[in-house]
Amino acid sequence: MSFSTPEARVAGPAGSALVSATGVTRVYGEGEAEVRALDGVTVGFPAGRFTAIMGPSGSGKSTLMHILAGLDRPTSGSVVLDGIELSALDDARLTDLRRDKVGFVFQSFNLLPVLDARENILLPLSIAGRKPDQAWVGRLIETVGLGDRLSHRPSELSAGQQQRVAIVRALAAQPSVVFADEPTGNLDSKSSAEVLELLRRSVDEFGQTVIMVTHDAQAASYADRLLLLADGLVVHDGEAHSAGDVLDLLKAAG
Amino acid sequence: MLKVALRGLFARKLRLGLTALAVALGVTLIAGSYVFTDTINASFDKIFAATNKGTDVALTARRPIKIDQGTRQTLPASLLSQVSAQPGVAAAAGSVTDQATVFDAHGHRFGAGGFPGLVSSVSAVRRFQGSSIKTGRFPQAPGEAALDAGTAEREKVKLGDTIVVQGGAKRAKLRVVGTTQVAGVSSLGGAAFVDAVLPEAQRVLGKTGRFDEIQVAGDPGTTPAELADRLRGAFGREAVVRTGEQQARSQSSEIKASLGFLTTALLAFGGISLFVGAFIIFNTFSITVTQRMREFALLRTLGAKRGQIMRSVLTEGLVLGVVGSAVGLGLGILTAAGLRALFKVVGVDLPSNHTVIASRTIIVALAVGTLVTLASSLSPALRATRVAPVEALREGAVPTIRGMSRKLTALAGFLLVAGVALMCVGLFAGGSSSASLSFVGAGAAATFLGVALISPRLVRPIASAVGLPFERFGGITGRLARENSVRQPGRTAATAAALMIGVALVTFASIFAAGARETVAKAVDQNLSAALVVQSENGFSPFTPDVLRDISRVDGVRAVSPVRFSQAKAHGISGRVTVSGVDAAGFAQLYKVKMTRGGQAALDRLKGRPFAVVSKKFADDHHLRPGATLQLTTPTGAGRSVVIVGELDDKGGLLADLSFDTTYLERAFGEKQDAFGLVGLRPGAGVAQVEGRIKALLHRDYPATKVQTAQQFKDAQAGQVNQLLGLIYALLALAIVVSLVGIVNTLVLSISERTRELGLMRAIGTSRKQVKRMIRVEAVITALIGGVLGLVLGMVLAILFTQPLQDFTLAIPWGTLAVLLVLAGLAGVAAAALPARRAAKLDVLAALAYE
Ligand SMILES: Nc1ncnc2c1ncn2[C@@H]1O[C@H](COP(=O)(O)OP(=O)(O)OP(=O)(O)O)[C@@H](O)[C@H]1O
Ligand SMILES: [Mg+2]
Repeated sequence: MSFSTPEARVAGPAGSALVSATGVTRVYGEGEAEVRALDGVTVGFPAGRFTAIMGPSGSGKSTLMHILAGLDRPTSGSVVLDGIELSALDDARLTDLRRDKVGFVFQSFNLLPVLDARENILLPLSIAGRKPDQAWVGRLIETVGLGDRLSHRPSELSAGQQQRVAIVRALAAQPSVVFADEPTGNLDSKSSAEVLELLRRSVDEFGQTVIMVTHDAQAASYADRLLLLADGLVVHDGEAHSAGDVLDLLKAAG
Repeated sequence: MLKVALRGLFARKLRLGLTALAVALGVTLIAGSYVFTDTINASFDKIFAATNKGTDVALTARRPIKIDQGTRQTLPASLLSQVSAQPGVAAAAGSVTDQATVFDAHGHRFGAGGFPGLVSSVSAVRRFQGSSIKTGRFPQAPGEAALDAGTAEREKVKLGDTIVVQGGAKRAKLRVVGTTQVAGVSSLGGAAFVDAVLPEAQRVLGKTGRFDEIQVAGDPGTTPAELADRLRGAFGREAVVRTGEQQARSQSSEIKASLGFLTTALLAFGGISLFVGAFIIFNTFSITVTQRMREFALLRTLGAKRGQIMRSVLTEGLVLGVVGSAVGLGLGILTAAGLRALFKVVGVDLPSNHTVIASRTIIVALAVGTLVTLASSLSPALRATRVAPVEALREGAVPTIRGMSRKLTALAGFLLVAGVALMCVGLFAGGSSSASLSFVGAGAAATFLGVALISPRLVRPIASAVGLPFERFGGITGRLARENSVRQPGRTAATAAALMIGVALVTFASIFAAGARETVAKAVDQNLSAALVVQSENGFSPFTPDVLRDISRVDGVRAVSPVRFSQAKAHGISGRVTVSGVDAAGFAQLYKVKMTRGGQAALDRLKGRPFAVVSKKFADDHHLRPGATLQLTTPTGAGRSVVIVGELDDKGGLLADLSFDTTYLERAFGEKQDAFGLVGLRPGAGVAQVEGRIKALLHRDYPATKVQTAQQFKDAQAGQVNQLLGLIYALLALAIVVSLVGIVNTLVLSISERTRELGLMRAIGTSRKQVKRMIRVEAVITALIGGVLGLVLGMVLAILFTQPLQDFTLAIPWGTLAVLLVLAGLAGVAAAALPARRAAKLDVLAALAYE
């Protein structure tokens, strides 16, 4: 199959992408215990697109996402985010970059339990000491339909509601890119659908760039593009239309 | 199960270390106090054993009542020949020993602080001589002296140098001809020891014709006990007869008794540290038990019994207690040296030659530390047993502690009421001072516990108040810090309560001291009409009446009036009665007292007669009215009946329970020395000029005495209060350090609990600096909660405690208290240093992956 050929791994010209990785490897441990979580990944993510990353467990999805988001550093290779070469940044700058240009949604535990929903949403802005764009935040909140829940603390929200608050939180600071690591991993299918719908709309309506790691073929079908990882390598890069397609691709990647 | 317990213990090394440190610091001062005082006592035992080695039998003056101020009774020199004439006496010699202040030729005083040295006579009989020569020789003629080698070395005195000595007479200049040591030790804790020939020593001490002691050596074949019996038969009426060994024990135990309060006071401070430590141990165990609930639940599902869970937690407590106490014992031994240095700073230099570690010290330190740790871990251990196995299966974060139960509130209320009641009984009911003290101590402890128990309810409002500025100016980190500090109110409360105790005691002491300074100042301002006050340099040693006699002749001086003090036993009144002697004629012109009964005429009537004016408080306490008669036993042993002729209200607190005329005090009480001298000036004489003349006179003839203006006197009194306050602060510092360890501990544990949250915050862009700031603010808020609670509690206690004190001016030192609160906050910052660093260093990815 053509997408498993070496040429297919090169995901277009890195220059035009909002986020791009070039020859990224990440090695854990040494000698006998050495694990190559990423083995020379080159991939680009153009702005305004929703990309799903899939692959078997241990294939390096989270590692790739962490490296793209400036949470981890590659053993070799380079990452450019919104025109900024991450390897040139020290820890404090990376922190600022995450704060200003990156939005995160994790599988669980996205919110600080002592803050209510509104405060959690505004947290990245508060940390930056920035005034929130009220109109924008108001529109986001309206979109998620959480208006009546804003003064509730996370413990008073359902898991799905929590994830939606987390997505609004990620979008509130108008980041260049939103990373989501299995955002629906803990949710039932109805809540999952709501969360994925929200991510989808952020791309369609607000032109947001979203990169999502998922195990769920159904979830991946919400994305514009599907990236398949296996053993630290990109083994497929293409459009994702339906869950059925995705399952076929997954089977093929083994 | 033991394995599980120990694994739990060692899994968190920092927590283990910090908890053990809290135990150790709690035990430190207790062990240190024992080592310190045991060492001192052993040193005195050794010294007195050495000085009495050659003495078979010692005769000293009878002391019908023990007094702790005033002139000591002496024996007439004429007794010596009678003693020598007794059969079985091979040799006998008289000696004198008393306090004296020693200077170099330039007027520099020897010894630390204001404490005087000692002048003793060298014995004509070699075997009676307690000290031995290190360099040079013993003095052989008047005008010669031997100085202890320690002082000579410290003050760089060489043989042939002149030293100046003032005891109970005019100063004497002596030439140093030798240096001495006692029991092979050259220094007796920093005080200067001077030996002179008998007539010189008697002259210097104002004891010409008198002996403090007659030392006797028996013929071969007569045992000391036999000889003592024989001499007791002959002289038992005029002297106390003891064997040399008994004499050594008696001298030693007398000093030990006077130092006994020191052991008690130090142990009390040690107890405070341990009490504070108990809060921290309890809190640490509570937190770790909460954090390990899932683990315990899992063990329960695997079939572990409640008892086994309980035992595993208590085993942790036992191991920690033993290890912590052992470390505390070691620290205590080191602290003993620190205590000695501390006391030296405030002028109390005590001999300590070889560190004494009694088995009692080891047992008490280990037992107390271990028991307190076990007791503190008991309630968390019980809670651990109550975990339901299903908890293991429940999703979600650690189970939070529910709100305070009714039972606890009731207990807190009971403790508060009981505590205040106990303190009131101690303060107002009268009774023996040690019983009152125990009531007050138990009451204070109960009150602290009570406040600590209700404090979880106070955490939220206080945190809101003190957290406000941080939230206002610190933004989201300030807000998060406040929220985090009230997340587990019980945990924050226990942490803050530990600090509260230290802050409350510091507040209490500083309010008390401020009041004491204010009271003295007011008394001086309102009562003292004398322009100048004469006092000994150290403020407490009495001085020869020659001083005032000579001052009365100084140009510009109109009148001088002495004040003397003594003590007596009164028939039908428990405890000792304090007695003052005033110059009935001149006193009232130099010191204002309000005569509440009998008027000025009563003072005039005193004149050399067995009449007394009684203080209002004493009169009220014992229902004495003019005309009443008191049967007194005076220090000379004489029984006297004295008549009350008037009553005075001395707002200045200078005068004692009973005041007599000076001449009567001298005759009936044997008190020959003055404690204060009041000096009135001629109209038109300049204070500064007269003061200058008196200074010159004192410098020349009486260097151990000083003259002060009213203002200087006030300042000096305030200085003494401050010095005592400083000592108290230093001793409370340990309790405060323990409570800071508690803050560190709680923060470290809370942070490890919030690893996920910190990871999330860091991931979404919180900088390390912001994380640090957040932790720091949390610590400051906790510390300020403790500070605020402590300040309020300390103030309430101070106001309560000063109620029974008549004429005490309550002065709240707002400035000091504000500084205290700021210091509490800064202490929070210091305590946060380590936890904040740990939190900031957290690896973001590892934290996100943390379960
Ligand atoms: N901190 C680490 N130390 C050592 N090896 C690691 C570490 N983190 C990840 N790995 C290894 O790197 C490889 C890729 O891990 P990664 O978490 O990226 O996989 P993943 O695709 O996200 O898997 P999953 O679907 O299970 O989340 C795995 O083999 C994993 O064991
Ligand atoms: Mg993963």
